[in-house]
Amino acid sequence: MYKRFLFLVIAFSLLIGTLFADNTPEKKGDFNPSEAILHHILDSHEWELFSLSDGHGGHTPVALDLPWILYSSRDGLAFYTSTEALNESGLFHASHGKIHALKSGASTDTHAPEAHTDTTHTETAAYAEHHDANIDESVKVYDFSITRTSLQMIIVGIVMLLVFSSVAKSYTKNKGQAPTGAQSMFEPVIIFVRDLAKEYLGNKYEKFLPYLLTLFFFIWFSNLFGLTPLNSNIAGNIAVTCALAFLTLILIVANGTKDFWVHILLPPGVPPGIQQLLTLIELLSNLIIKPVALAIRLFANIAAGHFMVLSLISLIFILGKAGESVVGAMSGAAIGIPFSVAIFCLEMLVAIVQAYIFTLLTTVFISMALESHDDHHHAHEEEHEVSEVNKDLRLSDFGV
Amino acid sequence: MGLAGLGAGLSAIGAGLGIGKLAAAAVESIARQPEASGDIRGAMILTAAFIEGVALFAVVVCLLAVLK
Repeated sequence: MYKRFLFLVIAFSLLIGTLFADNTPEKKGDFNPSEAILHHILDSHEWELFSLSDGHGGHTPVALDLPWILYSSRDGLAFYTSTEALNESGLFHASHGKIHALKSGASTDTHAPEAHTDTTHTETAAYAEHHDANIDESVKVYDFSITRTSLQMIIVGIVMLLVFSSVAKSYTKNKGQAPTGAQSMFEPVIIFVRDLAKEYLGNKYEKFLPYLLTLFFFIWFSNLFGLTPLNSNIAGNIAVTCALAFLTLILIVANGTKDFWVHILLPPGVPPGIQQLLTLIELLSNLIIKPVALAIRLFANIAAGHFMVLSLISLIFILGKAGESVVGAMSGAAIGIPFSVAIFCLEMLVAIVQAYIFTLLTTVFISMALESHDDHHHAHEEEHEVSEVNKDLRLSDFGV
Repeated sequence: MGLAGLGAGLSAIGAGLGIGKLAAAAVESIARQPEASGDIRGAMILTAAFIEGVALFAVVVCLLAVLK
């Protein structure tokens, strides 16, 4: 276990090797909270860990530069180690998270390198204008870069691999004995998800359990990672949650029984005019609304949590006028810090509840797709019987 | 900006009503049947998260209105 941890640390420190520092002079009293918050919420090509203040209003962000991997029909596959290297290449230009191809020949301009030193983050208007003229709209650039969020997802994956391979190993080691270590921590959670799958999927649960467990722990771990001060926002990124919901959609479509599709495409027992309308509604609700609501629910919950914490922390800088007023900053801290601690406690709960809800709804949707006619009738009859019994009980209670 | 604030307020009212009704019903049923409190609490937290999710949809829409 320690060896693996060491491996992780070494792998991570290799990345730190590309740490860069650039000076962004910022005026005192100048703080834009929505920009600061969006900078955290949105994905980026560098992983900013913290920034060092020079005591005169300027700050030096300490960040990991992440590689750009681009594909365009003009230049084929292109690889750059940092945003700086990308902008120096003269082939592409990145600003505010958008990537454009530059007209060929723009690389020969002498303006770019000298202007570069002060333009990594805040571009001078002249430089931006200069590049706007050179943007070649006809070349479509596909961005396959390992961004901050994807790197953090890989890290969560590695952590899960380490944790759960050690848990799995202890199951073979302590066979028939009480669980130890990480095993005893995760066993109740694993059993909780297994019972959930058993309840909804019946005897077919074993087929889906590996995916459901992976889904649950991935969302939970990435939410918890998002609560560390490592500038991470995985499930608060709509692309990530959309991909997870798309996997659920694939499972629904791939496992849909004949009866499931008949109920969607030709709802039985309704008059012809209504049938077409129902087909439309059923198609929309099963194939679009369910997965989209799933994606937005997770995204909104996690992103809103990060928003709330960052807004409360921003109070310090808003009331303190970004370093001008110490009294304002102190009062901002007095309000912001206790509230953000409270929200953090709530977010710890939200982290696992949202993982549970996503897994629960995926299980329910799969169970609806798996439903075939025979089980359906059976279930209905049972329900009917139970309600009859209840009615008898109630009537006898009142002495009728 | 102002309208987005109003929208955020309205969604908070809606979520507040929902969670209030939910909590009232849950507390009442725990009082009636204390032995089922574990199950009731689990169902309550789950439903509360659903209600919160709907309110957060509104928050996201408000934020989009304000920020862009």
